[in-house]
Amino acid sequence: MNNTVSFKEYILKTGTASVQEYSAENDNYVRKSQLREIWGRFCKNKIALLGLICLLLLVAMALFADVIAPEGYDNQDLYNKFALPSAEHWFGTDNVGRDIFDRVVHGSRISLTVGMISVSIAAVVGILLGSIAGYYGGRTDNIIMRILDVFMSVPGILLSLSIAAALGPGLFNLMIAVGIGSVPGYARIVRASILSVKEQEYIEAAHCIGCSNARIIFRHVLPNCLAPIIVQATLGVASAILVASSMSFLGLGLEPPIPEWGAMLSVGRPYIRDYWHLVAFPGIAIMITVFSLNVFGDGLRDALDPRLKQ
Amino acid sequence: MSTLLEVKNLKKYFKTPGGMLHAVDDVSFSINRGETLGVVGESGCGKSTLGRTVIHLLPKTSGQIIFDGEDISDVDDHKLKELRRDMQMIFQDPFSSLNPRMSISQIISEPLKIYHVCKNSKELDSRVTALMETVGLALRFRDAYPHELDGGRRQRVGIARALALDPKFIVCDEPVSALDVSIQAQILNLMQDLQKERGLTFIFITHDLSVVKHISDNISVMYLGNMVEKSPKKELFDNPLHPYTKALLSAIPQASIHRKKERILLEGEITSPINPKPGCRFAARCIYAQDRCREAAPPLEEMAPGHFCACYRAKELAQG
Ligand SMILES: Nc1ncnc2c1ncn2[C@@H]1O[C@H](COP(=O)(O)OP(=O)(O)O)[C@@H](O)[C@H]1O
Ligand code: SF4
Ligand SMILES: [Mg+2]
Repeated sequence: MNNTVSFKEYILKTGTASVQEYSAENDNYVRKSQLREIWGRFCKNKIALLGLICLLLLVAMALFADVIAPEGYDNQDLYNKFALPSAEHWFGTDNVGRDIFDRVVHGSRISLTVGMISVSIAAVVGILLGSIAGYYGGRTDNIIMRILDVFMSVPGILLSLSIAAALGPGLFNLMIAVGIGSVPGYARIVRASILSVKEQEYIEAAHCIGCSNARIIFRHVLPNCLAPIIVQATLGVASAILVASSMSFLGLGLEPPIPEWGAMLSVGRPYIRDYWHLVAFPGIAIMITVFSLNVFGDGLRDALDPRLKQ
Repeated sequence: MSTLLEVKNLKKYFKTPGGMLHAVDDVSFSINRGETLGVVGESGCGKSTLGRTVIHLLPKTSGQIIFDGEDISDVDDHKLKELRRDMQMIFQDPFSSLNPRMSISQIISEPLKIYHVCKNSKELDSRVTALMETVGLALRFRDAYPHELDGGRRQRVGIARALALDPKFIVCDEPVSALDVSIQAQILNLMQDLQKERGLTFIFITHDLSVVKHISDNISVMYLGNMVEKSPKKELFDNPLHPYTKALLSAIPQASIHRKKERILLEGEITSPINPKPGCRFAARCIYAQDRCREAAPPLEEMAPGHFCACYRAKELAQG
């Protein structure tokens, strides 16, 4: 048996391509940054690109609200109530004669702020809970996830409404109420992706080279769970804006005269039969914002994870 | 030749819904400094678990591990971190063993950073460069990401990472089985060169006997968590004693048309490692099995100098 040599052994013995030879600079390797690849994939999706442009315009509108609408949002002109859209008042005026265009422009500040900050609150708390549950597993996981299940068994808007009712009106309370309502969603997504990343050999390799638990979570696990979190956050801003508007509409969010879009809908509701423009423009503003965030989020998901598309 | 690693009666059981899974059951061996122990066996027989348990990547169920003259069976976190400098691992899958979000230089420099080996970033840089040269990686890959490299180059990155802390001992868990045969040869040669230069000691795990034939000094054969045969390489290939080893050897295709060799086919499924029955684990598939084989497990006995085998009938079969 020993004087014969298997074919494979033959190759193993004679395939002595030296180390240096192997690394000779003879292949055309082109370095391409990951960001550029992601951007390239994103641009292929035209609707997502449109969403991104709308978003940038909205952000610009919020940043330059004082330039676009220098009169501010609270100038009453009682002689000029319910004016229809005209050259002077592009979107018309409301029940106390305030310019609706000015109010919609200033309202973008409120909506985007509420959306982003409540999502940040939800994401930070959710990522923390989800990472702990997913990374440590076992009892810790059970306890955290069962508590979140209880939260999830209450419809999100109802949860936010009860928290808002308990905390009272105000911008900050609104953001907390909306944020807490969506914590479980983030926790679940983070936990699920951590569970799958945890099984990868590079995590074991990290243990092997002496990484601490914190280093493993923050350097190895979380960066690889980032894509679904970013997507969830983008889509989350949209739903946070919707929830905040619904709550203002129901009178549990921001109070007049703050030009929150939902609150504006609420103000216009009694006059909807005669004066459509009181609700139409804030409604369209909500719609465009939510739509752009959603298509942008979808495009981002496909761009970040090319495997999903195939 | 001094002993670097000695493992005595090592057991690793996993709790599963179906019962205790005996992944590694009462395994003992020792390795001399600068030598390679090849561990062979079918997939699922506990090779990876053995390697991981030895270097404390998995907690053991029981047993004793002596490394460099020191009992490291039970260590605290502080001692473990110290041990990691001396014991490293090279992984099977070069596609999942590198963090896709880290560049090659980040991956190689991470252990150096954790152990504060370098005083400043310039020194770190030159260490990374030296490591990349050692494993034959072109420096233009410094800032590349793992998905941009082929399997062989990724495995070189894994080797560089394992070498970074200048360990004495490396567990190589099927480091070439995911690679093309021509690349396997390059990686195996690299590992042998490194072993010679640095006096490294290896446990080399594989399911492929032709690979261990290339690289080991001693070979141990595992079956369902047990070590069934253990011998110097040449002796094992010339004179296999255990029926399972014979079957494994007969499965290597031979490049000779003159010698007809009988291929011993293994019949039946591999039995479950969960709550295994008493007796020889191989009995269900062994053509020589007798009643006593099913009653108690055969002990690992020395049949020839340095050649151990766990089979009741090995002696009689060798003579007849
Ligand atoms: N973490 C684990 N939990 C439960 N069972 C495991 C775990 N890891 C490995 N096993 C089981 O242990 C046995 C040996 O596995 P492994 O050591 O990976 O085998 P090999 O490396 O020889 O293919 C297998 O039956 C496997 O299913
Ligand atoms: S002990 Fe019996 S069953 Fe086990 S390998 Fe030997 S002959 Fe076969
Ligand atoms: Mg394995």
